Amino acid sequence: MHRFLRLSILLVGMFFAVGSYATDTAPPITTEDDLGPQVEQPIEFPHNRHAGLHDPADDADPSKPAKGGMEINCMYCHTYARRSMVAGIPPLRKCIGCHQSIESVKETPRIKKLFEYWEAKKAIPWKKVHDLPDFVRFNHERHVQRFVFQQNRPVQEACGYCHGDIKTMTVARRQKPLTMGWCASCHQKDHLVSASSSETSHGPNDCFTCHK
Amino acid sequence: MSVSNLLQNWSTFRHEHPINDKPHAEIKWAMTIDLDTCIGCNACSVACYAENNLPVVGKEKYAHGQSMHWIRIERYWGETEVKEEYDPNSNFDMVQQDFQADQGAQFLPMLCQQCEAAPCETVCPVGATNHTEDGLNSQIYNRCIGSRYCSANCPFKVRYFNWWNYPEQENAWPEPLPLQLNPDLTVRTKGVMEKCTFCKQRTYTARNNARSEGRPVHDGDVQTACQQSCPTNAISFGNLVDPEARVAKQWEQQQVDLAKEKQEKDEKADNKLRGYRILEELRPYPSIMYLERVRESAV
Amino acid sequence: MIENGFDETTSHSAKPQSEGQAAGYNRRDFLKTLGWGGTAVALSGCGNTSIENGKETVVSYVEPTDYQIPSIGVYYNSTCAQCDAGCNIMGRVREGRVLKLEGNPNSPVNRGKLCGLGQAGVQAHYNPDRVRQPLLKGEAITWDKALGLIAEKLNGVKGEEVAFLTGTMSGHVRALLGNYMDALGSKNHFVYEAVSPAVERAANKKMYGVSMPRYRIDKAKVVLSFGADFLGAWISPVNFSQQYAQFRKGSRPEGRGVLVQIEPKMSLTGANADRWIAARPGTEGMLALALINALGTAGLSIPTDVTAVVKDYTPERVSLDTGVSFEQINRLAKLLKERSPSLILAGGAAEGYAHGTQNAMAIALLNHVLGNVGKTVEAAAGVPFPQIAPIPGSRSALTALGNGLASGKYKVVFTYGANPVYSAPAVSKFSENFSKAGFKVAFAQYLDETALAADLVLPLDSAMEEWATEVPEYMAAPEGNVGYAQLSVRQPLMGRLYPDTRGAGDILLALLKQRKADEYKGFEDFYAYLQSAIMKNKAALGGADCADDKFWNDTLGSAILPLKGVAGSISAKPAIAGFALPAPVTADASYPLRLIPSISHSMRDGRNANEPWLQESPDPMTTIVWDSWVEIHPKTAAQLGIREGDIVEVTSKSGSIKSQAYLFPGIHPDAVSVPMGYGHQAMGRYAKGVGANVFAMLDPVYDKETGELAYHETSVKISKTGERIIIVKEEGPARGSQVGRKKIAVKVSADKVDLSKEV
Repeated sequence: MHRFLRLSILLVGMFFAVGSYATDTAPPITTEDDLGPQVEQPIEFPHNRHAGLHDPADDADPSKPAKGGMEINCMYCHTYARRSMVAGIPPLRKCIGCHQSIESVKETPRIKKLFEYWEAKKAIPWKKVHDLPDFVRFNHERHVQRFVFQQNRPVQEACGYCHGDIKTMTVARRQKPLTMGWCASCHQKDHLVSASSSETSHGPNDCFTCHK
Repeated sequence: MSVSNLLQNWSTFRHEHPINDKPHAEIKWAMTIDLDTCIGCNACSVACYAENNLPVVGKEKYAHGQSMHWIRIERYWGETEVKEEYDPNSNFDMVQQDFQADQGAQFLPMLCQQCEAAPCETVCPVGATNHTEDGLNSQIYNRCIGSRYCSANCPFKVRYFNWWNYPEQENAWPEPLPLQLNPDLTVRTKGVMEKCTFCKQRTYTARNNARSEGRPVHDGDVQTACQQSCPTNAISFGNLVDPEARVAKQWEQQQVDLAKEKQEKDEKADNKLRGYRILEELRPYPSIMYLERVRESAV
Repeated sequence: MIENGFDETTSHSAKPQSEGQAAGYNRRDFLKTLGWGGTAVALSGCGNTSIENGKETVVSYVEPTDYQIPSIGVYYNSTCAQCDAGCNIMGRVREGRVLKLEGNPNSPVNRGKLCGLGQAGVQAHYNPDRVRQPLLKGEAITWDKALGLIAEKLNGVKGEEVAFLTGTMSGHVRALLGNYMDALGSKNHFVYEAVSPAVERAANKKMYGVSMPRYRIDKAKVVLSFGADFLGAWISPVNFSQQYAQFRKGSRPEGRGVLVQIEPKMSLTGANADRWIAARPGTEGMLALALINALGTAGLSIPTDVTAVVKDYTPERVSLDTGVSFEQINRLAKLLKERSPSLILAGGAAEGYAHGTQNAMAIALLNHVLGNVGKTVEAAAGVPFPQIAPIPGSRSALTALGNGLASGKYKVVFTYGANPVYSAPAVSKFSENFSKAGFKVAFAQYLDETALAADLVLPLDSAMEEWATEVPEYMAAPEGNVGYAQLSVRQPLMGRLYPDTRGAGDILLALLKQRKADEYKGFEDFYAYLQSAIMKNKAALGGADCADDKFWNDTLGSAILPLKGVAGSISAKPAIAGFALPAPVTADASYPLRLIPSISHSMRDGRNANEPWLQESPDPMTTIVWDSWVEIHPKTAAQLGIREGDIVEVTSKSGSIKSQAYLFPGIHPDAVSVPMGYGHQAMGRYAKGVGANVFAMLDPVYDKETGELAYHETSVKISKTGERIIIVKEEGPARGSQVGRKKIAVKVSADKVDLSKEV
């Protein structure tokens, strides 16, 4: 019994030691543990079909179901991301705007469901996939402005820092831990101020900036 | 705020800051309150309740000193003569003053002074309150463990502790009042210290908007809730680093230096200025300058 | 346009409006389609530290509009309904709910500022105690039934048997009510305000030729106020506070102004005065006339007819009557003579007497003598449409209604925006008389005392849900635009919280349709009526060159319609035959003290008592919260052996109340003061049972000329009950003493500072 206690104390001690070491040095990598749960959505939205890379094979025969994507810019649908704290789930009218003229998929179950919501003028009850605690202020606008507009990084890369490779997913799934240590690991790095300048700066390390 | 920072010698910091290091390259939020135009109407206080999700605690808790007003109006009388009398029949009246009312009363809005060398910061065992780069004294609610040392060490008594779970158990916001709550900041729960943030959510938004437009924050981009409501414009708020800001002009004109513990003008007998900071001699270097109340003696 | 910034452009919501309207949406339907979720209210700062996935729902818009961006607040303009000043406000709306109210920077009334009372308007809207359905004797019924019932009860009833009691009314709801009363053939519209400057209006009409002139505190070098609490609760406090800020500026061409306040109980304005003088209650008019004499002695030329009228009121004699020293009177006269223009104001504390009008006229005469009329007392312009002009409320209206009710002649009585069952003095037996009315209908937002006494309660929209227009009685104007008048628009800032509430305009329209179906069938709702009424007069409202859509959208965007006012003219010195200013009555030995029911800047007549922010916001003078109190001068208290916190009984000939004693240096030793607005027996959880109702114990003494209930004519005695409590207040046990503390609140003499160069 004593042995067991001693062992567990040792293990706990080691855990903390390793843990505190890890927070100082661990790079922001995605492991299996960081993956969020698979969230069931009212409509299984295929991100890969919309944002995924174009497959030239699809051009050959338009009548066959496409395998590749349409390379739609993230901000075409998540339009608030560049001007608001929240990226925003696209409004239903945005979906309908395109889909009312895409006859080829109109009869598929997902699109039928979409039109059911539209006709009832009901909002789709999407589930949050990236849900930060309520006391955290994460500003999409700031990050998009910095990395997309000032540094000219590709949109999918900039969004991908936190959201992972969305263009390969159907329903989005959390890829990164989104914990404070994970945020801070990036904030402590030096980033270019803009594409045209070699000046660098890091993200704010002020608690007050993100904790509201 | 890392652990290594915490372990640094705070006393050295307090002696050097804000004189020797220059933390505010871009922004230093500061305030001026003109006591001559402040009429004591409490509009600022109510505006603060509306903006900052402050709970209404009710009579009983108010009696226990548990009110949560981040900005309060203190009322003072002129006093000429003081007689200290102890009334043996009373549990309450220790002091009997001779108050003078013929020149009216005096009002003083008291809120967190956002000290540059804040006494609260040095005593927090967990680093939940610390200094920000824009010169605020931050309070991180989810780091706070509720030791209340900061409140004990605050000379202005402007820190407010959540003795109760106001949102849930105390029902401080019965339906549908929660719909009024400002989503830009949290509703604090039991065991957390809170205080004025100079409307952090508003300064944050102003900075964010300015950055997106690729410009510095201009004077007037941001108003605190108390300033915005004040019917007599007694409060001015802005960036002390910006020479065009009204608040910076006022500090300069009144010859009040943020980094000094004693103002040179106060040494001069005939100075005709009325700017002062409360409890300056304790060296907290407050970020709020008050302007003395003026009274015409001819009448 | 919609950023969170605070530059002036934020108040222009014209664009958002135009898009919402142009797309054919009713504003309200549009608001309904917004999701509530979006960003959930962040509750609890601690506890939830884990990242939750797939738990919360995020509701997006079905149909977005360009200007609605989640997480960014949009400002809509509207008009405050918390008091009668008619401040223009803007509400911050986020994700379909209104979060906070601010002043509209383009308003000449409040110029971007808003008082605490106005801020609390959101709590009237989100109040948990609102009436949510029509109630027939407490039972919920449908609107169809409720309206049917009214039609039934009105069937066969003659016009003179119907009465409508309201608070101050103006704008298109007033016009509609006028039409309804015409349709009923009734002339019994009673406009009642428990706290209103009705005596002052009458005196002003006689002395200046206009009942509500424009006061220029910002232009005056000296303001001598006889009990006008213009920084607290008098007429248009936010406007006056802005003027006061100018008045106190040393860099002003006139230099820093001097404020002298004469009143027996220190108001917020008194607290800010350079000199506060407690003249004996009721002697204010005399003091004004003595000042005219003293001014004559000091060398000011006084017209001979005035000299004749005032000659009996020598400073020596008046000094004895008022208790104000002879030297003080001369000092004041000297100040007024040296510093011109000045401004003399007469407010509630000077007018609450049987000779109230006389007092106010004597004070106004001082303005004439000093040549202030035309300089600091200006004629304000009136609105060019008499049918929407404000009908100001008075207390005499309640007396008239009460008499009618007592005789039992009213078969149907409506009430809206008035709570007489609470605020009528007990001796008037209003409550008993009210019950004699055959059928009582209350338009109510809360179940207040009057609504509880009514048979049928019709639930009202809040000021954040209803359509209305308002014409402020006190017409402020932008600098240099003397003939300015305005119509303010109140519009919904969000969708209805409860589907079964209605705006007063909507209810009146529905009632009118019962009478004149043909005339009103074209208006689907009050919004349609309002729009048509405004568009019909587009040219007169300054929109002659403007397309209809644009004009309407601009109107809603700014919520202020500037009008070419009907110029008023202020009369030269009126002929005064003489004054009847009685010497102060020798105290009745059994009731030795004068009761001063004070008007608190946030509680007023008690209509906002159920807003918790106001209950928790300390009274500025006593710093007491959540209760009423009895202010007693420390000397008087010492004589009576009263200590702070003693529960005392204040008894008049007409009633009594019990409350906590508070020793207050800012009160005349012969007076005690109790705040109005407390002591509700109903209305909601935050108002009910808090404090004592001072209205109930007022003596039935009326102003001789206007018939207004004289608030300061109640004599009382005070006795200890033996109970004692700790007063719940902000100032702490040392009562705010600064002794032993270094430089907290500092006061400096004007000659010791150089104010002229301040930024």
